[in-house]
Amino acid sequence: MVTARAHSGEHKYLAVRAYLADLVATRLSVGDAVPSERSLTERFGVSRMTVRQAVDALVTEGVLERAQGRGTFVAPPRADFEMRLTTFGEEARRRGLVPGADVLEAGTAPAPAPVAEALDRPAGTPMHRVLRLRTADGNPMSLEEAWIPVDLAPDLLDRGVPESLYAALRARGLDPTWGEETITAADATPDELAALEMRTSQAVMRTTRRTFGGDAPLMLSRACYRGDRYSVFVPLREARPTLVPRTDRSGASAGRPGRIPEGSPR
Amino acid sequence: MTPSGTSDEQVAASILAGLGGVENIDEIDPCTTRLRSLVKDPSLVDAALLRRAGVFGVMINGRVVQVVVGPRVDTIASDLAELM
Repeated sequence: MVTARAHSGEHKYLAVRAYLADLVATRLSVGDAVPSERSLTERFGVSRMTVRQAVDALVTEGVLERAQGRGTFVAPPRADFEMRLTTFGEEARRRGLVPGADVLEAGTAPAPAPVAEALDRPAGTPMHRVLRLRTADGNPMSLEEAWIPVDLAPDLLDRGVPESLYAALRARGLDPTWGEETITAADATPDELAALEMRTSQAVMRTTRRTFGGDAPLMLSRACYRGDRYSVFVPLREARPTLVPRTDRSGASAGRPGRIPEGSPR
Repeated sequence: MTPSGTSDEQVAASILAGLGGVENIDEIDPCTTRLRSLVKDPSLVDAALLRRAGVFGVMINGRVVQVVVGPRVDTIASDLAELM
């Protein structure tokens, strides 16, 4: 149960937070300073701690960011990356961001069993492996590990890591045509926090993607995206009809439907 | 892997057999790249047969069997509807 006092404190904190969120949405631009803690304590008649709690929450959400010794400012908006068969660089460029990649590790290694299975190869098959820190306008956004079977593109890394792995595959006639990706919320490991320069939040999204070109699995990629910098944009469409067996299989049930649009919105 | 020569009808028939036949199906839900099936008796599901049917992955969790078929899901689903 929530006591009356706790509820009232909660209410004040929410009011300050809502006020700040509204300011960011309607009157302030990226990089603008938010009102000082003092002015907020006066405006709402609340303690400095309550104000700080509201600001902290918005910093954790990625709406605001603190600059040491300078104050609190409106953070750049999250990148709403669409889940589709594009690369980080392509998605970033379409949002007016300059993509970058720091290659942390690159080489050829025998595939561990799960990687080999995902790419339909026997365990131990030689694979190119590339680990990169992806940046947008110089800011760390994600850590990406990609595995590509050596037999598909033996010379892939001969002249360094290509800027775009998809483009390098296309150049070899291996056009990515479809894929599957799973997204899981997680806490970042200490190494990930350091690499992604995350200070206020530990929330990340982990993705695993299999990229296919027709019938051939081309690449397995695993990425760790900053939870405070990313939103996932997923286009939705009407569900396909669910298939159910005909109830009477004697053949005399011509009028009975074999499919019902159970999954369809009405 | 799906041999390119395998027709959608053959894939659909093999998937149905791997799921334990039409009698074992409660429903099959075609997703964008997968067929998500609810079967009556999981012990009748033949995972090896499903994999041989030419699909990109098979995940079995209790009565739920997911078969990754890729972008051919639409045509395979139509063929499955015919067979059910």
